Amino acid sequence: MGADFSRRDFLKAAVLAPLLPSFLAACRRAESGRVVNFFNWSDYIGKDTLPNFTKRTGIQVRYDLFADEEEMFAKLRAGARGYDLVVIGDYLIPRFRALNMIEPIPPGALANMGNLAPRFRHASYDPEEATVPYLWGTTGIAYNRRTLKRKPTSWWDLWDPRYKDRLSMLDNVRDCISVAMQLLNIPETTNSEADFQKVRDLLVRQKPLVKMYSSTSYLNSLVAGEIDLAMTWSGDLFQAAKDNPDLDYALPKEGTYMWVDCLALMRGCRHRQDALRLIDYLLEPKVAADNADFVRYASPNEKAWPFVDPVLRRDPRVYPPKKMMDALMLHHILDPEQTERWNELWADVKVA
Amino acid sequence: MSRKRGLAAYCSALYAFLYVPLAVMTVFSFNDARRNVVWRGFTFKWYALLAKDAELIGATTTSLELAAAAAAISALLGVLAAYAMVRHKPFRGREAYGALLDAPLMIPEVALGVGLLSFLVRAGFELDFGALACAHALICLPYTVGAVRARLKSSAGERLEEAAMDLGASEWLAFVKITLPLLMPAIVSGCLLAFTVSFEDFVTSFFLAGIGLVTLPIKIYSMMKFGVTPEINALSTVLLTATFLLLGLNAWLAARSDARART
Amino acid sequence: MKALERALSWLLSGRRQTASHALLAPAVLWLLIFLVTPALGLVALSLARNGAYGDVVWSLGLRNYRRAFAPQFAPVLLRTVGFASATTALCLLLGYPLAYFLSFRAGRWRGALIIALMVPFWTSSLVAFYSWMIILGKEGLINAALMRFGFLSSPMGMLYTPFSVLLGLVYFYLPFTVLPLYGSLEKIPRQYVEAAYDLGAPRWAAFREVTLPLSLPGVIAGALLTFIPCLGDFLTAELLGGPRYYLLGNLISNQFLMAQDWPFGAALTSLLLAGMIAGLWLYRRWEPDA
Repeated sequence: MGADFSRRDFLKAAVLAPLLPSFLAACRRAESGRVVNFFNWSDYIGKDTLPNFTKRTGIQVRYDLFADEEEMFAKLRAGARGYDLVVIGDYLIPRFRALNMIEPIPPGALANMGNLAPRFRHASYDPEEATVPYLWGTTGIAYNRRTLKRKPTSWWDLWDPRYKDRLSMLDNVRDCISVAMQLLNIPETTNSEADFQKVRDLLVRQKPLVKMYSSTSYLNSLVAGEIDLAMTWSGDLFQAAKDNPDLDYALPKEGTYMWVDCLALMRGCRHRQDALRLIDYLLEPKVAADNADFVRYASPNEKAWPFVDPVLRRDPRVYPPKKMMDALMLHHILDPEQTERWNELWADVKVA
Repeated sequence: MSRKRGLAAYCSALYAFLYVPLAVMTVFSFNDARRNVVWRGFTFKWYALLAKDAELIGATTTSLELAAAAAAISALLGVLAAYAMVRHKPFRGREAYGALLDAPLMIPEVALGVGLLSFLVRAGFELDFGALACAHALICLPYTVGAVRARLKSSAGERLEEAAMDLGASEWLAFVKITLPLLMPAIVSGCLLAFTVSFEDFVTSFFLAGIGLVTLPIKIYSMMKFGVTPEINALSTVLLTATFLLLGLNAWLAARSDARART
Repeated sequence: MKALERALSWLLSGRRQTASHALLAPAVLWLLIFLVTPALGLVALSLARNGAYGDVVWSLGLRNYRRAFAPQFAPVLLRTVGFASATTALCLLLGYPLAYFLSFRAGRWRGALIIALMVPFWTSSLVAFYSWMIILGKEGLINAALMRFGFLSSPMGMLYTPFSVLLGLVYFYLPFTVLPLYGSLEKIPRQYVEAAYDLGAPRWAAFREVTLPLSLPGVIAGALLTFIPCLGDFLTAELLGGPRYYLLGNLISNQFLMAQDWPFGAALTSLLLAGMIAGLWLYRRWEPDA
């Protein structure tokens, strides 16, 4: 062939070349061994955390990705199988449990459970400890120090007409409605239609000011200076602030919410022992500290705190001081009717 | 003459419009920041990271294979279907077939993802590369059918085909020797559309990807929370450069075989 | 071998209706398995009721459809149709000259130019979206340039406006209009056009009387491949649009994801599907050359 390599050969080669790696991959896939299938966000774990686990135990971790918790929930609910371990937000736990989608972690199965700070044990969203807290943070206000003359101090700043078209809200039912209820002094336990109407009106009143409802892409807009003010989750903002040092985080004076991302075992998981081993490993003080440092979220692991990067450990935005900690609230656990009513309300705001 | 030049200038402007974001993307692949939105200085580090990033390279390979498989399947199905739709004398249910062939375009992807996933799981399909390729072939089908159908309709090839058959060629021979070559540009553009649709599909892929199957869009969308790094720009730049090199090589070989044919 | 050729010839000839059905069978089988069955599942789902925590309760009824016709959703539908029509019109207007150029003027560059039309979309659309944000943003390239040369004193907001949504849609759907157009333009025999010239027709008349009518199938194919996906698009509105440009695609995907109200999402999907299939079917009935 050689010199006679014609265009036709070239086309043939071009068509066949992509198939080669899949053939090789098919050969690779044949090898079997111990494995845990872990479903999580991209980059939501320390760089060396999983490789070190594999080195120590010989258990491979297949790390699958989702881009959005609601999408992940929809996929699992539609019947996707095979995941052993999944990271879910606290507010999703009652939903997962009600639909029988997770397997409670057997009590006493984890040697390192005691490393967790008492505050994160038997929390209201998961009194039976079916899941294990992974990382946590707060909901607050992100702002651009350079373009905003005044540091925001209150949730009401997100309703300030001066910031028209410069602010974004999380595209999240729980956070937006909870904050609106807080501002109206309506308890989250309410079932009154009049209360819901008031909440709706408050959120619709804010809508003309809002540049976007978003839970991920607004971070880019913050970095790019497209918006100056945003309702945000603490850890996400700290990641974004690495690229724009003008970005800062404020906790509103009305008080705010904390959220906890948790590790859960999927119902029917096939690698239970190895998955438990991975959870236990993630609870080790040194591992938990390195992990938290990498993603810049706070660790619920009390024993890990001495190993956490001192800069982060001293940062009151990441690890709030005792007084602020005591003021942090967990989201109220909604019953099914309330959940539906909240969802409807939020959908109403979105189409208004 | 100036009219011709005017048209050429207009087309150049349109291509510029299509390529402006790519130019920005390429420039920002050298950006020294984790999020590709603000310029912070020049660096090669994303290319170095990319070269070592097995996860990202694996996702890219998966996506390329997936797109190739989906384009091939949808082209095969599409050519046959489009041929029957256009060339055959009217048959019962043709309107229904036509609507059905366009239907994958109409169903919002999230609905399709949820519906298809529930169905495949219930029907006991293994959610592997093959299942995903089949689903991608489905969303690509209207594009290959559309491209081929449009060409068959405006075609004068029918008469050539008839002439060949008058000369004793079978329908099959006439199809292979006349229709198929005449259809080639449409098949190629249909495949290109299909490849593109599959390569950048996120929603369907996300729902149908089984354990261990990560496509490039899944990887990129999942990075959104913590910042889509310029590593993605670097990757896109590499892919782009490779495509253009292949195209150039192809054109060069074509020119050479042309020259050889002439001598 | 001979028998095989005869069988294939019989299939292609379409003298019998069975042959037509057989030729369509692979595609139809595919559609039945991967589209119709899941879609029927969705229709069934649309009759169910949303239960506790998004659980599906199989007490059948039309409540989701009644809800879908609530007046609050009308603006969303109108806005979606508006954006889809504007995008289709713009894509056709912008794309037709390009397809014409590719078909008649591009010469030996044609192949390369056609592939070059698709190449921009072989990167993630997300990357392209981010690039547009860099270009259009408040501190973006256009604003920086305009302010530098004194055309503007303060940055103008181009992102999250109807303009940016339309720009995004046109950008992403333009090739999907141009390629089918090209496919049918390229097929028009040059002699037809030349004959028109020979008969003394001016250029414009030749184009209007010969080229344009012959390219209509391509115009229609391109318009469909643009208009229909536009109706379901949600990413463009989400990333470039902001809350005031909430489209049907966003509404539907939010039912499946955010609100976890699958039955209602399924009802909206069923209505969208029914509307579009009915429209296409009617259109095919009177389409002269189908």
